[in-house]
Amino acid sequence: MDPSAFAIQLFSGLSRAMVLFLLSAGLSLIFGVMNILNFAHATLWLVGGYVTYSIFEFLSGQFGASPWMLLPATVGATAALAAAGFLLERYLIRRTYGRDLPEQLLLTFALVLIIGDLIKLVWGVENRRISLGIEPIEMLDTFINPYHFVIIATGVAVAFGLWFFLHRTRFGKIVRAAVYSRNMVSALGIPIPMIYSGVFALGVGLAAFAGGVFLPLLPMSLGVDHDIIVQCFAVVVIGGFGSMLGTFFAAIIVGVVYSFSILFWPDGALAMIFLIVILVLIWRPWGLFGTELRY
Amino acid sequence: MGAILEVTNLHKHFGGIHVTRHVNFSMEEGEQSAIIGPNGAGKSTFMNLLTGYHRCDSGKVVFEGRDITNQPPHKIARMGISRAFQVSSIFAKMTVAENVRSAVHAQMRRSFSIFGAAGRIGSADTDRVLALCGLGVKRDLVAGELAQGDKKRLELAIALAGRPRLLFLDEPTAGMSIDEARGTMELVDRLNRELRLTVLFTEHDMGIVFNHARRLTLLHRGEIVVQGTPEEVRANETAQKVYLGEHNV
Amino acid sequence: MGTGNGNGWSRLYARHGLSGPAALVLLAFFLLVPLLPGKFWTIVSTEILILGLFAMSFNLLYGYMGQISFGHAAFFGLGAYATAMVFTRFKTVGGEIATLDFFVSLLAGPPVAALGALIVGFFCVRLTGIYFAMLSLAFGELLFYIVFSWYSFTKGDDGIQGLLPPPFFQDPVNYYYLTLAIVVAALLALRRITESPFGYIMRTLRDNQRRAAFLGINVRLHMLVNFVIAGTFAGLAGALWGPFSRSVNPGLLGWQESGIAVFMTLIGGAGAFVGPMVGSVIYTFLQAVVTMFTTYWPLTIGTVILLIVLFAPGGVLGLIEKRIRARRGAAVNAGDEEETVVEKR
Repeated sequence: MDPSAFAIQLFSGLSRAMVLFLLSAGLSLIFGVMNILNFAHATLWLVGGYVTYSIFEFLSGQFGASPWMLLPATVGATAALAAAGFLLERYLIRRTYGRDLPEQLLLTFALVLIIGDLIKLVWGVENRRISLGIEPIEMLDTFINPYHFVIIATGVAVAFGLWFFLHRTRFGKIVRAAVYSRNMVSALGIPIPMIYSGVFALGVGLAAFAGGVFLPLLPMSLGVDHDIIVQCFAVVVIGGFGSMLGTFFAAIIVGVVYSFSILFWPDGALAMIFLIVILVLIWRPWGLFGTELRY
Repeated sequence: MGAILEVTNLHKHFGGIHVTRHVNFSMEEGEQSAIIGPNGAGKSTFMNLLTGYHRCDSGKVVFEGRDITNQPPHKIARMGISRAFQVSSIFAKMTVAENVRSAVHAQMRRSFSIFGAAGRIGSADTDRVLALCGLGVKRDLVAGELAQGDKKRLELAIALAGRPRLLFLDEPTAGMSIDEARGTMELVDRLNRELRLTVLFTEHDMGIVFNHARRLTLLHRGEIVVQGTPEEVRANETAQKVYLGEHNV
Repeated sequence: MGTGNGNGWSRLYARHGLSGPAALVLLAFFLLVPLLPGKFWTIVSTEILILGLFAMSFNLLYGYMGQISFGHAAFFGLGAYATAMVFTRFKTVGGEIATLDFFVSLLAGPPVAALGALIVGFFCVRLTGIYFAMLSLAFGELLFYIVFSWYSFTKGDDGIQGLLPPPFFQDPVNYYYLTLAIVVAALLALRRITESPFGYIMRTLRDNQRRAAFLGINVRLHMLVNFVIAGTFAGLAGALWGPFSRSVNPGLLGWQESGIAVFMTLIGGAGAFVGPMVGSVIYTFLQAVVTMFTTYWPLTIGTVILLIVLFAPGGVLGLIEKRIRARRGAAVNAGDEEETVVEKR
């Protein structure tokens, strides 16, 4: 393979990986802390993308079109979705704690359908995309969209931010402790319900942020969430529920494997991913970086 | 009458914590004995090791001359060893009769029978075990909704349905009223006498222990400290110290 | 439970639980449907029967064994594709198929699905809970993408078209009665299985896997046998689907299709034998009607599922069962000692 083709695949694979990471980090955290597998996570990502688009259009209308409008648009969408996630947990998801696993899964599954149609209701069926008008850069005898670098840098920055949050701040340490033992944390007098709401809000906020970040690269359209959510499951299973490091590396694996598989088996690239998931579940069900205790 | 169960040098640790230390233990056929010890002595762990629920780190368990060390629980159960759990471990959504009946089916090796009618297979054995444990009247109640004492009795019934030759009972009278406890232990005595069922049980209640066990083993921090008849153990100084918390291993 | 009320319904309820009367009502309904004017309800009812069988096979794993599989449609799809491929082989150039060949193609579905279930199940039964769910999902998706991408063998995303049944069965009413006959036979077989010693061992695996092992049950082996049985019946449903809808497509193997079985089971009630079939009636009818007026079907069914999960997790039959128990409890309390009513299936 010549270097330019390799480079293109590598960078698109890495940027795909970063989006998967941003999405899966929230999913992994939510499951690690609350034992809820949020089927609707990618759907909320989609909502984040649409909301970002709307804010972007609004700001561009008010202040003139400019790529920089993406930043406040994304931040706005993130905040809005985080708040929505907080309310969602508090008034809906919370009602299924203590129930059997299938009932919890079905609740979030139902949300996929409901929220998906709400998107259709509000924004209609057309795709939304943002064109930032960025010129491709010439590199290694080929043209690469420099926005990939923005995504990769953002992903790494968020990864560091998450790491810092989880390992160096008080709330973050409590969250990590809750992954290991809910009961202990509760016994220490820390209100578990607040932690749950906060973690869910954080996870959903991350998803929305990923939606906004991804917008210039690919159009948001109905049904994309169905494809993406199973890839997020793959990432979380491979990396290990509750482990940010695992999610990060698993996202890179999935993103890069997908990118290169497209070259010689276009329709079956995702089959490769699921093969990896199967192998992980058979050999090491708690994932590459998950803890055996939790399993 | 030979040794039905021989345990040699059994050892188990979880991380750095040694819960069973080089235990040597044996039982004769037809014996009825108890393992006693303060909380955390390792009584349940010992039973778990013998019934395949934990893997042991070293040592050997021999039952009726066969090495059953580290065999999976279902294989050990099929060899004639049954176990009743401390916290009643029953099939909560099925009726009492269905609970016992499934145990009977498993014992009859009919568990793969797809086309037979469950209600018509093994009903004689099921009725017998239910009657034995005083659950006949309650046979159609849902197991999860039983009172605590009845759950323990169902626990025992399920264990008995397997026609064991060696029966482990983990705190069989926990949660029972005095009358219920007495009834249960009298049943155990009867089974031991009439069927030559070898029984090993753990207990906290010393009254039960002295009235129903012919041999005692005192466990402390995973080690056997004293063994003998109830009178011998009662008179033993070390045993007294263990219970007063003064004994250091 | 015989309180002087010895009529047929009571006896049926006493012997088979709520499923007894429910099955009878369903049977009457299914037998009479073709009498309605037009072909629409007959065709919808064929779909109800086929998907209902699919959902009932799923419930072997869920309601009876306690595991949720998000990849069960893979076996539905494998059955559909096996039948479709044999069908296409036997088809003449003119697109017609002989009646005997048609039945042979139907027979091809279940064994292929069974083989698939054996391979997938071998791995899945090593896990439980969320890990079982994830692994079954992964296998389902793997099989979906294999079918999707293997164009030379399966025609990929185009699917296999032109599955026109023999002339006699092209009449929807005739195909409907064929389906009804096959599904009723399948349900009778399923009933025998769930009421057999094996069926009750499944329930022990659902309620307390650890204890089942201590009874001498080889848990994995029993789970595998059940998994294969469930896959076989799903394959039978899939076999019927192809000629019914005249085509098969890779989507039949995907997790959204698996979700349909889960929804139907939940709506009808996983705790009753005919629950999934009742769920199929409700789901399919609702879909047929709602899609006539609006494109917002996902919103509708999503809301229904939400409400059921929150307020009626036992499904429709579960709700009815609760009402009956409550009424009996009141009657009993008025008289003799307290008695917990048995939960029949």
